[in-house]
Amino acid sequence: MVTKTEESQLKNLEIQVDNGGGGAWEYLSLIRKLKVRRSDKVLKHGLSILNDSKLRSNLGPEEWTLYEQVAVAAMDCQSLDVAQDCTKALRKRFPESKRVGRLEAMLLEAKGSWDMAEKAYTSLLEDNPLDQIIHKRRVAMAKAQGNISGAIEWLNKYLEIFMADHDAWRELAEIYLSLQMYKQAAFCYEEVILAQPTVPLYHLAYADVLYTLGGLENVQTAKKYYASTIDLTGGKNTRALFGICLCTSAIAQLTKGKNKEDKEGSQLQSLAAKALEKEYKQRAPDKLPQLTTALKSLTLSS
Amino acid sequence: MAEDLVLDTAIRDWVLIPLSVVMVLIGVLRHIVSKLMRSSQTPDAKIVREGQVMLRARNLRTAANFIPSKAFRARKLYYCNEENGLLFVPKGQATNPQAQMFSDPNMAMDMMKKNLSMIIPQTLTFAFVNFFFSGFVAAKIPFPLTQRFRSMLQNGIDLSTVDVSYVSSRSWYFLNLFGLRGLFSLILGEENAVDDTQRMMQMGGGFGFDPSKGLSVEKDNLDITQHDWALPNFEHHAEDVLKKVVS
Repeated sequence: MVTKTEESQLKNLEIQVDNGGGGAWEYLSLIRKLKVRRSDKVLKHGLSILNDSKLRSNLGPEEWTLYEQVAVAAMDCQSLDVAQDCTKALRKRFPESKRVGRLEAMLLEAKGSWDMAEKAYTSLLEDNPLDQIIHKRRVAMAKAQGNISGAIEWLNKYLEIFMADHDAWRELAEIYLSLQMYKQAAFCYEEVILAQPTVPLYHLAYADVLYTLGGLENVQTAKKYYASTIDLTGGKNTRALFGICLCTSAIAQLTKGKNKEDKEGSQLQSLAAKALEKEYKQRAPDKLPQLTTALKSLTLSS
Repeated sequence: MAEDLVLDTAIRDWVLIPLSVVMVLIGVLRHIVSKLMRSSQTPDAKIVREGQVMLRARNLRTAANFIPSKAFRARKLYYCNEENGLLFVPKGQATNPQAQMFSDPNMAMDMMKKNLSMIIPQTLTFAFVNFFFSGFVAAKIPFPLTQRFRSMLQNGIDLSTVDVSYVSSRSWYFLNLFGLRGLFSLILGEENAVDDTQRMMQMGGGFGFDPSKGLSVEKDNLDITQHDWALPNFEHHAEDVLKKVVS
């Protein structure tokens, strides 16, 4: 995840470069370091550097890294001729390189020739069975072709080896969610929370999945995770506030017959309702009446 | 005994500075040569997997309090199960990393190369210093020393009445050897091949990364870990946070 300082730094550089100031190279290097996806900007500014031969020679050996970055950005923006030119230049310079081979396979993938790309990736993997990027590209290809079960299979194989890659777990969770396999998605989100326990996004997603699964225990756990999201975001996350209200009313419905302690629950719910109203007053005052009716219906049914 | 010897400034110009310059140049040369000679290590799939398993187990241990206890227990079982748990390594198979180091030809070659690249320049420079710069007083150390250091620091000077603070150029060589490390990390970046002292410290300790021992250590640690679910506390925290927001 990108930190706040890095994000502001990136934004400043972006504004500076967009308005014609210098610093395109620093901007591109920062994007490369943070692994952010700004392909259109990278393409525009990268091409402006590459087409100017004086600036290009100023870069020295970094020029080839720039070629690679621009090639990938071009593929993302579907400007395949630009990508092809960059890849050709790289291939001329590094004829035996596996990295260039990877780029060429990605170009095939971008063009849509799935079988040729698949063949290229398999042969690259034979030489280098531990290349993480190629594994991930294979998963992405399966997903793009609509072959979700194939994507799941590849991703599981990848995770058997590289099981500490929390981005991969997150991707797997999202795929499971799209297939409504909530239990498996919950497992993946647990892995992600284990890897990065202080990121509120994952708590929120996990809470959503638990609430969707339903059942008293799950909803109670979901409520706790909504609470932790609120704690981690300082109360600003609207979805978590709604989550608390929904969970409390769902718990109350499920425990109608039994006598459980609902003292602490109601306090949290009323607090969450008040915070929601305050936020709606600030940001969307015309939707406030809808909110109040919705909240009333929740508390009435509980 | 405390007369001040006046040292010729020519000594400074022709001994101290050239010696430092030569050492810096030799260091840079070694760094470049080591970069050229470095053979690429293809990581073994099994070792990578074990490394990742350890990472995942360690994550489980540190963040165990953030997931529900059922999930934690399921994972603990998955890792520590006697027969097919991830972290369980049967006694016979535990690969001894030391033996592996010596039997694997690539690694042995690498180690030899590293050792050689450290020893040879040092020996050569030392001989160079002895040949060219011996037999005279090179510098005066600003703090007083005991007589024990005389043999080490004053090897070329055969006068026993000279104060031990006046040293020969051999000691200047040693001083440079340890002192230029900082300069090299500035010039050559953090990871440079000239960091002998660091490597000397490493040689005493373990060799890099021993997977099998790591796994059983992780397993023991995980067995010990208790689950103390932190989430209920979060509910209380959330209430406080919301109280502040609402007020």
